[in-house]
Amino acid sequence: MIVADVKKRLGDFSLDANVSDERFICLTGKNGSGKTTLLNLIGGILTPDDGHITLNSKEITNLSIERRQVSIITPDSCIPHLDVERHLVWGAKNKGLTIEHDYIAEIKTSLGINFDGKVRKLSLGMRERLALATSLISKPELILVDEALSNIDNHRDFVNAFRNLAAKAKIDVIFTTQYPEDSSQADHQYRLDSGRSTRLF
Amino acid sequence: MNWLKLISCLSLALLVIPVILLLYEGFGPLRDPIGYSYVVFRAIELTLISSAIAAALCVTIFTPLAYYFARNKNSLGEALSDIPASIPHPIIGVAILVIVSPLTPFGRFLLSVGINFFNTFLGLITALTIVSAPIYINSVHPFFQSMNIAHENYALGLGASKFRTFMSVVLPNSGRGILTASLIAMSRAMSEFGSISIVAYYVLQQPFYGVSPAPVLIFQYYTYYGLGPAVTASAVMILVSIVIMILLRLVKRSTKL
Repeated sequence: MIVADVKKRLGDFSLDANVSDERFICLTGKNGSGKTTLLNLIGGILTPDDGHITLNSKEITNLSIERRQVSIITPDSCIPHLDVERHLVWGAKNKGLTIEHDYIAEIKTSLGINFDGKVRKLSLGMRERLALATSLISKPELILVDEALSNIDNHRDFVNAFRNLAAKAKIDVIFTTQYPEDSSQADHQYRLDSGRSTRLF
Repeated sequence: MNWLKLISCLSLALLVIPVILLLYEGFGPLRDPIGYSYVVFRAIELTLISSAIAAALCVTIFTPLAYYFARNKNSLGEALSDIPASIPHPIIGVAILVIVSPLTPFGRFLLSVGINFFNTFLGLITALTIVSAPIYINSVHPFFQSMNIAHENYALGLGASKFRTFMSVVLPNSGRGILTASLIAMSRAMSEFGSISIVAYYVLQQPFYGVSPAPVLIFQYYTYYGLGPAVTASAVMILVSIVIMILLRLVKRSTKL
């Protein structure tokens, strides 16, 4: 479960948001409403001016990115010089995890990773699929997905598959989306408006 | 009329015309056999090798620092790293000699184990590395800043430490930037005079025993023989430098980094 009650000022923009839920959480809002800022605070890229963040009852507010067990995915997220197979297991190897080949095969099949080669030569949609798969295999406690579903075709099926895989691995997910229908696949939805959050369900 | 192009051509001409004139004079009216003797080519060889080693040392020692500055605002650190570029370079030569001399405990230790910097190849590359370091750092720093930080944040989110992220994500994707900056550092080292005229006026070690670096030799020729040999030796040095730099840039262009 993620509990984030944070305040942050960036120039003229002020964020005062609260997210307290688990499982598959959808974050919606107009451009400039603070979605990325909130995810960056939870992920550790930004430090809140005030407030706290706990993940599965562990205080992570002042932890560095690499110690939070939070994976951050944007459309640019990848390690370009690797090939697909090495990329998939890169995160898990960092953490010293034992990787079951069946688990990797299940993720590849479910998320439509049927390509190989150098990551830098993949299309944007392929890289997004790969980044999400790599994060799942590394078994964080929370995955933050910032607009990294927008270039994936068979969108609805993909989101459904990703949701099921995350639930099976007991990984919470917070994702932002431009597709209103994605919120129907979420367990909870928050809306951000000028830096203020509202829990819709 | 493309005024920007015209102004750019005139600016370039200011840099190129003196070099062309020197080449013309050195191989033409002022040509002197002393200027293209075996001694000159040995000096150029010493300069090229020591500059290449200095550039390699800059890459090895200062790349992490340049990356650190790119990702962590540190005005004081950046100002300190610029010091060797902003002080007269003979001062750097003097500083090296003082540090490694019997006046300091460190110098006494070095001498006790037989390490000498004065008029040695070690002293030469040390001076060249120090004067080239600010140029290298300031050249590769903007490259690191321009790299997409999303890759690094992604790697950190996958549990990689900052050091592992630097070694496994940043460096493998930095080849072109590092190579370009190292070429700039090598060019800087090849043109150095002030510090090496203090530390290594000539090298008293094989295989370059008695050989002076090319900038020092040209100064010696100007002082002892006059304009002719100095200009001829300068023209030879310029020609070799241009060929080397063109070759290195062709290698860079053809290398997929």
